[in-house]
Amino acid sequence: MNLPYAHSLRARLLWFLLVAVVATALLQAGMAYRAALAEADELFDIQMRQMALSLSPGIPEGGQLTPGAGPGDDDQFDFLVQVWTSDGLSLFRSTTHAALPQRAVLGYSTIQARGTTYRLYSFDTGAQVIQVAQDEHVRQTMAAKLALRTVLPTLALVPLLMVLVWWVVSSSLAPVARVRQQVAARDVDELGELAEDRLPDEIRPLVQELNLLFRRVTQAFEAQKNFVADAAHELRTPLAALKLQVQSLRRAADDVSREVAITRLNAGIDRASRLIEQLLVLARQQSAAQTQTSIVDLSDIVKQVLAELMPLAEARQLGIDTQLSVAAAVSGQPEALQILVRNLIDNAIKYTPVSGQIRVALQVEAGYARLTVEDSGPGIGPEERSRVLDRFYRVTGSEVSGSGLGLAIVKTNADGHRAQVTLDQSAELGGLRVTVQFPGL
Amino acid sequence: MRLLLVEDDVMIGESVLDLLRGEGYAVDWVKDGELADQVLHAHGYDLLLLDLGLPKCDGLTVLERLRARKDRVPVLIATARDALSQRVAGLDKGADDYIIKPYEFDELLARIRALLRRAAGRAEPVYEHLGVSIDPVTREVRANGQSVTLSAREWAVLELLLARPGLVLSRKQLEDKIYSWREDVSSNAVEVYIHGLRKKLGADLIQNVRGVGYMIPKALP
Repeated sequence: MNLPYAHSLRARLLWFLLVAVVATALLQAGMAYRAALAEADELFDIQMRQMALSLSPGIPEGGQLTPGAGPGDDDQFDFLVQVWTSDGLSLFRSTTHAALPQRAVLGYSTIQARGTTYRLYSFDTGAQVIQVAQDEHVRQTMAAKLALRTVLPTLALVPLLMVLVWWVVSSSLAPVARVRQQVAARDVDELGELAEDRLPDEIRPLVQELNLLFRRVTQAFEAQKNFVADAAHELRTPLAALKLQVQSLRRAADDVSREVAITRLNAGIDRASRLIEQLLVLARQQSAAQTQTSIVDLSDIVKQVLAELMPLAEARQLGIDTQLSVAAAVSGQPEALQILVRNLIDNAIKYTPVSGQIRVALQVEAGYARLTVEDSGPGIGPEERSRVLDRFYRVTGSEVSGSGLGLAIVKTNADGHRAQVTLDQSAELGGLRVTVQFPGL
Repeated sequence: MRLLLVEDDVMIGESVLDLLRGEGYAVDWVKDGELADQVLHAHGYDLLLLDLGLPKCDGLTVLERLRARKDRVPVLIATARDALSQRVAGLDKGADDYIIKPYEFDELLARIRALLRRAAGRAEPVYEHLGVSIDPVTREVRANGQSVTLSAREWAVLELLLARPGLVLSRKQLEDKIYSWREDVSSNAVEVYIHGLRKKLGADLIQNVRGVGYMIPKALP
């Protein structure tokens, strides 16, 4: 439907109702008009007949009446009366005008005479024929006047009815307009709930759904704002370090202290770049949910990451023990899984003291694929285990300058794969044990 | 002058520590709030350089406890928390100044000097006494109009004694103010510096109060 009112409930209602009102009124008026016309016609006929009957006692012969003054003078209401003898002699004529033709037809008839149409009633008393005639044009005019008088009040009610319809439709749709105004008046960051009271049943569910959506958007908005604030704050620390390290370098008096300053500055730059990289990874993960998943063998990914990180482990003289004999097929994105595994193993390498031990194991069991990474590092106390998954949370007293994002990335990534992350103490190595349990295929 | 640095970030901590030591300050460094609290209990410091986001005990709590026990040590907050409400809260809880990371090290130094100056009850940046003037900014020392070159430690000892003429400082007190924890102090180090100062500035400027310590008199006899 491509009508101008197709999209507006109000316009549609108004349009249909007003058309209906006008059509009904016209139809009714038309019918009433016709009925009134017919009735007037009948009434005039009766009138003529009564007039004829009242003359039935007869007119004395030779009693030529001269037309005189009287109401009959008015042409408009004029009844023509003629009385004839049965042998065709005109006894009486009510007007001075030329006589109507004598008609043999008794009762009602319509005749043409004197250039106009007449309605005629003829009545035979036995001795005389009485004819009463009326100008058809006059009759019609009078009937129309009468009919119009019956119809007019109905037509006069039409505008009133239209105003009423307009008012009812508009006031019924006022809540919609109110909600619309409330929404339209909002700023982008104004996501408070809309008032749900005084709303009709048809609109309330819509507003309720809208409010639910507002709540969800507000939460997402808050989370994003917090993240940006946290990120800005977290970027300050490495920048502050860089600034001070540059100062140290500038003030270095000899080669030895200059060398120390350069090493520190390098470490500072590494840390800042790592933080930015991790932030990017985290930001990408937000949109990664839409990308396609495929069937991935987790053991392949772990082996790949281990090969990448081996030099780091060797530099710290860490022993890495692996149990990756099984193929563990999971549904996911290879790149995201790689990031997850890399963060876990990288963390283990970073936090485990020199010549420590790391164990990476993969198990497939009862529809689950379980990846565990354990180390012989200091571990994380039970009270801090839930918090280290938060963004920017760093274990207290840690000597390692991490970004505070590694485990947050693991967590977000695992959530994206419907995997569960648990932290506890490694039974054999004594440090941290991270378990990521993926649902099987 | 002995400063306590409270900073949990290792990179920032080690740089600030080195830079401040290079400026001749004796600096101790702790990485969490609880330890800061304990150390402040045990030692007297000339200034506290305090970070706010600390493990175990927040910087503001450290500050509150410090002021609750009527410790009047000047406190300079150095933090990445830059919101107006946080700055106001920091100053209202008893900090003397507030600097936001990342900052210029020169600004940090200037603020430290200003706080030390105010704590000593002075407003003028250069101080002069008995013909000896020292400028903490340029580290220039003049004795009777002549420029004198001092070592960092000699400078530190002179600054301490000249800050409060008439006040006697023991050898232990001087050691405490010019050395931080991890530095080895040879037993006669202070005597060596006093000797050097007397040689460069005149024998009767620094007086030895037998059995108590050293002082620069309020006026020459």
